[in-house]
Parts: sequence; structure tokens; C-alpha cells
Amino acid sequence: MTRQEIVDRFMDTASKVGAEVMRVTSLEELDRAVLELLKDTDSIYCPNRTEKERSLTVVSERGTDDYADASASVEEVFAAVAETGCLVCSSQTGAPVQGGLLPPHHVAIVDSETITADLEEFTELWPGEPPTNITLETGPSRTADIELTLTIGVHGPERLSIIVI
Amino acid sequence: MIRGIDFRTAAAAALKDRSLRDAMRNSTDVFTTKRAEGIAQVPFEEWRDRASEIRMEVIDNLPEYVDRFAASATRTGATVHRARDAASACETVSGILKDRGISHVVKAKSMVTEEIHLNPHLEKSGIRVVETDLGEYIVQIADESPSHILAPAIHKDRRQIGRLFADKLGFEYSDDPTVLTRMAREVLRKEFLTAQAGISGANFAVSDTGSIVLFTNEGNGRMVTTLPPVHVAVFSVEKIIPSFKDLPAFIRLLPRSATGQILSSYISIITGTRKAGESTGARELHLVLVDNGRYEIARGEFKEMLKCIRCSACLNVCPVYRVIGGHAYQSTYPGPMGIILTALLEGMESAHELLDASTLCGACKDACPVKIPLPDLIRRLREVRAEMGLNPRIETQAMRAFGVAAGSPWLFSAAETLAGPVWPLTRLFGKGILDRLPRPAHKPLRRRLA
Repeated sequence: MTRQEIVDRFMDTASKVGAEVMRVTSLEELDRAVLELLKDTDSIYCPNRTEKERSLTVVSERGTDDYADASASVEEVFAAVAETGCLVCSSQTGAPVQGGLLPPHHVAIVDSETITADLEEFTELWPGEPPTNITLETGPSRTADIELTLTIGVHGPERLSIIVI
Repeated sequence: MIRGIDFRTAAAAALKDRSLRDAMRNSTDVFTTKRAEGIAQVPFEEWRDRASEIRMEVIDNLPEYVDRFAASATRTGATVHRARDAASACETVSGILKDRGISHVVKAKSMVTEEIHLNPHLEKSGIRVVETDLGEYIVQIADESPSHILAPAIHKDRRQIGRLFADKLGFEYSDDPTVLTRMAREVLRKEFLTAQAGISGANFAVSDTGSIVLFTNEGNGRMVTTLPPVHVAVFSVEKIIPSFKDLPAFIRLLPRSATGQILSSYISIITGTRKAGESTGARELHLVLVDNGRYEIARGEFKEMLKCIRCSACLNVCPVYRVIGGHAYQSTYPGPMGIILTALLEGMESAHELLDASTLCGACKDACPVKIPLPDLIRRLREVRAEMGLNPRIETQAMRAFGVAAGSPWLFSAAETLAGPVWPLTRLFGKGILDRLPRPAHKPLRRRLA
């Protein structure tokens, strides 16, 4: 599979499992996309760790350090998997993995170069010891525990937006 | 005399419960339809073969894999505890908590903690345990036990849950699942942020890296394992898989077999304690490896049962489970897998009645993602039961009488002639099964054909 095919497959699968997926080609477009997604959000948690994260104006205006209290979180994730449409969050980046879990809206930035074709390739990301926490995130938090009625947003985010750059 | 499971009485009662039967029909239909969709486009047979092989490799070398897992996990900073039976597993967990002065824990769903009755033990030790899976939470505040290993509260309808939340949590009554879910989110969020420790199970434990793997849809598994400073994971020894490279096989199979999803919303792979430069991970990770009979099962003729990955596909297709639901089994694990596990874990004397909770139709065998020959194991266990002399006396006597009659043409035709007139007398032996049998024909088929 070419890089383009991998990205297309990821975007297709991720949108089928309940995420909103969009694609941008520059940091400026990324900034605009995040601004649009979070235009009504008052407090935003962002680890401010990567170049992409630091370039977001919405974070410099409405950022908070407290992910437990934020209305949204925005972060660049470690990788993604095209086969399953899932994000790969990893503690090795230094960012708190749970930062994307507590706020009701999770905005994930995916560098297209980090998308693996399938789960086998995903396991090869760590030839040595894996980091303390690897989380595969697929769509929003959900439950069907009451009469098997699908309900979105139990303990984790009720909305997942993915921006591929 | 051991007080065993009275399956017949409980099943008869479940059959009379109309709302239970509606709930069961609805939920098992949804599960089986979704599963069929989930496996339609993929090489499912190939995946099953591979997964079955991986599981057998571990079971055939269980002690070695447990040692290897323990060594890897210790290297990553986790503390490994081994528990021989339910009592020692409970003592281990309460010991860890009490030594640290912990009195409030949040818990993610774990069937083995139901098996060892961990919650009542912790509560007796003065520790408040809050279940955080929505279904498990509903069952906990209703003071009941789970009726399905995946969807613990499917025996309850939305109105019952609405009344429960109004009574126990003080919310205004609602029967809207979205509103009810939001109530639980609000109550449980506070618990997550204040708990001193989290208790989870593990869907898999990876021998070469010492990692544990958890699948959840709600996100509660992630909360329990990342927010409190102490994380205690309790799981049975056969959950081990050899290598990190084996994960894709099970990541593909488990959610599809369980709910028909491609993936669960969240899969957490946890390896040891928080390291320098990281902002995620418990400060202390305790792994409690529970034997409770597994080593012995792994050495015996029923070892294939240990391949089970607790997906519940066999429950949803079972014509018995679909009608009576999980509670009638009166055991931690219901359905076809539950019949076998209960007989093996709790012993034939108390569990043998459950062996009748199967029609041996084979639907479970076809659904099983790791190819456990469930009907064959049940049939073999029935043989063991007969060898142990545990069959009901009336059944043994009836079969013996039939054997004598079938051995003599004269006796057989005499019995045929007498069957009609004598039939009403069978009522003297009690109602029940005889009432449901058809009356003997005036002229038996054998004579009509002669």
C-alpha cells in the first residue's frame, strides 16, 4: 500500500467507527481547523509538547493545565492504524494518555507519516520494551448496558475529531 | 451432602418471567446479528485456527508461561503475586490495600473477581468498592449479580433501571438510556477522581513483555488504571499469551466475537509502573495471578476449556441461555462456557445439574472464536457424572427398566400394551416433566408398520 492508500484507508475506517475525520496539508490549515472545531469551547487542555500542538492559537487563548476540568482536549497522538481506524496514544511522548479521556471532546492530530497499515505493523513500533501505557482509541466512549441501546459518552469523550496532517 | 445448584427450579422460574424473556430475546438477537455482520468480510476461520493454536501453546506449557510472564512483569516495575485459590487471592488484594491505608477503590469489570467473590471480602474488610462499568454499577446498586459476562444488566429494562437510580441515587425518574447514562457518568466521575486505588481484570497478559491488556467501550477501564496512584490487576493464569506479536490475532477476534465491533472503543496495553518522563501510569502496579484450579484443569482432559477468552458468543447463540438468561445458572459463568467452567472449578457434586442446560445443538461450538469443542466437553462431563453416580435416581431406574424391557421382545410388547392404560398413574410420581410428554399412542408405530 502506498502512503496515500494508507491515509485514505485510515480516514475511511475511522469515520465508519464514529469519529469525525478531516485532512489538512499545512500548520495554518491545522490551526484553522482546530479553531473551527473548538470555537464554542471555553477551556482546552493541550500538552503543548510538539510543534503542531504549540502552533495552535486556540490553545494559547483558552488553554488550561487541568485536563479533569477541561471541556476539550487537543493533542498530537503517537500513531494510528489504517486497518482498524484507531488512534495510538502512548505514554512515551510524556503527555498524559488520560488527558484525551476525561474531557467530553477529544481532538486528535495525526501525522500521516505515523499511520501504520495494519495491527502487525503497529506491534513493530516497539522492538524493545513497550512504554507504560499504550491506548488504542476507536471512536467515542460508548455503552449499550441499558437494553443494548447504544449511548455515546459514558465515562470518556462523547465526541472524537481526528485531523490528519 | 453438598448443597448444589438447583438448576431445574431456577430455570422453571425464569421461564415464567415474561419481561426477562423479552429482554433476553431482544439482547441476544442484537448480539448475534452484530457478530454476523462483524465476521462477514474477514477470514474468520483462519483467525480462529491461529488463535486456537496460540491459546493451546500456553495451556500445554502453563507453568513455564506463568514464570516467564512473572519475570517480565517484575522487570517492568510491577509486583507479581500468585494466589492458589479464591481465599488467598482475596487476602492478597485486601492485604495490599490495607497495608496502604486504602479504604475507597474503583473497579473495572472482571469476571474472575466475581468468581473469587472479591467485593464482599473487601467490604467485610472495611473497603468501599465502586463498580464503574455501567452495567456492573447497575447490578451493584441493585444488590444483584451479573446475568451476562459482557452486559451484566441485560435482564433489567430501562424502567427498572430508572426506578433504581431514582431510589438509590436520588435522581428524578427517567427511563431514557441517555439520561440514565449521564447520571451514572456524573456519580462515577467523582469516584474516579477520589479513589485511592483501582482494581481491574485483564483480558490478556503478555508473557514476553509483562504487559496486561484491557478492552473497554466506556472508558472506565482506562480511568481505573490511570487515575488512582495504585493499580491492582486480578486475573487468572490462563489469560497469558506468549508474545506482544500475538496481540493482533486477539485484537481482531475478541471485539468481533463479543459485540460485532471491529475494535472496542479503548484497548489499553499496560506495561509496568510510571517511568521517568512519563505522565501516565500507576505509581504501584500489583498483578495478582489467580490459579483457583486452572493448573489442574490444564493437566486434564478438559484443558481446551482454558482457551476461552470470555467473549460470550456462545451465550448469545445458546437456545437455553437465550430463554432463561444468566441468573438461572446460579454460577459466576453462565451459558455453555459457564456450564463447563462451573463443573470444573466448583466440582461435579455441586454443579452437575447444569450439565442438563444444553441441547448439544452445537451452535456454541460454531460461534467460539478459539474453537473450543463445547458440546463434546459437555457430553464427556455427562459421562463423568454417570460414572460418579450423580444422575437423578429416577432417571437411572427408568433407563435400567428400559434396558431390561428392550432386551426382551415379550416384555417390550407387554409394556407397549400397558403404557396407554397405565399412563395416568404416572401422575403419582409428581408433575413436571411427565405432564409435558405426549400420551402413548393407542397403537404403537412399530405395530402399525408390522
